[in-house]
Amino acid sequence: MIEIKIKKHLTGQDTEFELNIDIHIKDKEFITLFGKSGAGKTTILRILAGLTPVDYGFIKVKEKIWLDTERNINLPPQKRNIGFVFQDYALFPNMTVEENIKFAMDKQNQEFLDSILETMQLKHLKHQKPDKLSGGQKQKVAIARAIARKPDILLLDEPLSALDLDTRLKFQEEIKKIHKEFQLTTILVSHDFSEIFKLSDRVFVLSNGKIIKSGKPEDVFIQEKLSGKVKLTGQIIKIEKEDIVYVISVLIGNNIIKVVAVEEEIKDLNVGDNVIIATKAFNPFIIKM
Amino acid sequence: MNKLKGFISKVSTSGNISIVEVNIQSEKIFSIIIGNKEEFLKIGNEVYVLFKETEVSIAKDFKGEISLQNRLNCKILKINKGKLLTEIIMQWKNEKIKSIITTKSAERLSLREGDNITAFIKTNEVSLMEI
Repeated sequence: MIEIKIKKHLTGQDTEFELNIDIHIKDKEFITLFGKSGAGKTTILRILAGLTPVDYGFIKVKEKIWLDTERNINLPPQKRNIGFVFQDYALFPNMTVEENIKFAMDKQNQEFLDSILETMQLKHLKHQKPDKLSGGQKQKVAIARAIARKPDILLLDEPLSALDLDTRLKFQEEIKKIHKEFQLTTILVSHDFSEIFKLSDRVFVLSNGKIIKSGKPEDVFIQEKLSGKVKLTGQIIKIEKEDIVYVISVLIGNNIIKVVAVEEEIKDLNVGDNVIIATKAFNPFIIKM
Repeated sequence: MNKLKGFISKVSTSGNISIVEVNIQSEKIFSIIIGNKEEFLKIGNEVYVLFKETEVSIAKDFKGEISLQNRLNCKILKINKGKLLTEIIMQWKNEKIKSIITTKSAERLSLREGDNITAFIKTNEVSLMEI
């Protein structure tokens, strides 16, 4: 169990607000923080990592107090067992993949190192230097390095946002696998709905420093009260005009679904938008495979 | 998507299935839905009635019987003809309704702007949404 209570006055570009959160996270839970930029998501991760001070704070991780401002306890970052992955990979350029991962380990444990390389399919790259790797591979190494510390919490700050769609989709599966296999407790910052739906047990929606909604992704996001019983969420990947109508391709999981729409409906739709596709329970065919 | 506002006037339920009547400017539109736990589906509540353009059929000089319950007497305002599909924009009460039918059918009915027609929508093609 992780307990996080934080109060901190934040000044943004033209806003001022108080970050004020009080959340409990269960062991092995996958949590996503969602919200507009400037809502305080990254600040929460930085406070957890001990990189940003607070006005008031209490953080307890697995019965160990990391922060208690009332009792003047504040563990430095290196004493907090955390794996942190940022949007940019921040690998050591002069070290090989294997050395980069090894560097993060408290004590040498070749067996664990091998199991990470194996699970993350990095074995064949272990002697490469980072500049020889693709963006996706670099981010894999960054995640492997974060796991190598056997962290109590894995913090992922929009780790996939710099990757292309294809790599991102594969990576989501990868993160899901790692989270399970290494029994991690993970906190992800993300704007990507397919990512949130695929990975999170719970999502916290942050606005101006406060949590305004929380719960399972489907309960938090699909609240438009439509009587239709078939509802899917996805992302628009293509809008094409055909005759007098438009055909919109929507990526749902790994499938592409095509939906017909009229001109008026596509006015405020763009490629990349997250959408709900709904139809009535009476319409779909069901065919045994 | 056609989206009209109305008030729920009746809900008939059998097990998991309900037929909801919605009053729109003193006419009724029927929707059949599965599950009726949604709180907004109560008599007197204002709701949106939704149906897709492609589910609106058109009849001209209609005679005889047909099973469809939702029949709206409309006047054609505009016709946008495509190669295969034709969009028909109609006036019904104070609302505009759109239909998309095949161009072949539009020609067979020799639809013109200003024509009085009946628009049919199947009950199971009508969805309801909370306002």
